[in-house]
Amino acid sequence: MTYIGLYNYWIVFLLMMTGLYVVIVSTNLIKKIIGLNIFQTSVFILYISIGKVAGGTAPILAEGYKIYSNPLPHVLILTAIVVGVATTALGLALIVRIHSEYGSVDEEKIYQNDPVD
Amino acid sequence: MEHHIVLRVVAKSFIPVILLFALYVQFHGDYGPGGGFQAGVIFGSGIILYALIFGLQTTKKVLPQSIIHHMTGIGVLLYAGIGVLSLIRGGNFLDYSVLGATPAAGQHIGIMLIELGVGVTVAFVMVSLFYSFAGYRQKDLDDPAAEDDDEQDSIEKSDQQ
Repeated sequence: MTYIGLYNYWIVFLLMMTGLYVVIVSTNLIKKIIGLNIFQTSVFILYISIGKVAGGTAPILAEGYKIYSNPLPHVLILTAIVVGVATTALGLALIVRIHSEYGSVDEEKIYQNDPVD
Repeated sequence: MEHHIVLRVVAKSFIPVILLFALYVQFHGDYGPGGGFQAGVIFGSGIILYALIFGLQTTKKVLPQSIIHHMTGIGVLLYAGIGVLSLIRGGNFLDYSVLGATPAAGQHIGIMLIELGVGVTVAFVMVSLFYSFAGYRQKDLDDPAAEDDDEQDSIEKSDQQ
């Protein structure tokens, strides 16, 4: 029962490994970015799960509610999401630049076209 | 996208609602879930939807690049300005309590303006990112004849790749 009860941690595990697998295996740089984003999402879910208090409501002052979830991880992740958008944009911009230089977003082809080697 | 009449009609009716919802999330963030980040992204996505349906050139007529760059700065300036204003009024940096007649009123004014600054910056940074990527042309690889084509063309081209 406890294993099923902690299902969001299983989802975190699954997403994290999916993202890591995509980052390692894929040779396409765009797909690598997508893998990185999946990995990032798993970290978001991990932190938000930690912030949840059993039986707690959203941390908004209201009559009759005393227990509320920890807002600190949520705020932290709000910032992380914004940073994630910025890093994704930076990564895509680098890929655009690489594509205009090497004519491909595939790692193998980039290595082939690299004049240094 | 001229021939996609369903997309155009649906987008036309949805974009005002999306922008209105962004303002709701922005200003209701005081009392409920919401705030500048979310509202900014929703507002930005409304404008991006407009750009996807009606083309980048049309959107640049509605929202010129210079306005976007200025608004991005104005948001940050609003945020920092509130901090400096609270310093001038005798509090700490970003201490909202000194902004109003009572501390509670000051907190209301402070958080509203701070979130407005965040929202404006996030919204226009999102649009700015979209403009940069959608407006990017590959001058080396494209043939010179494609130079005069509509920007819409390059978006569709990148979709197919």
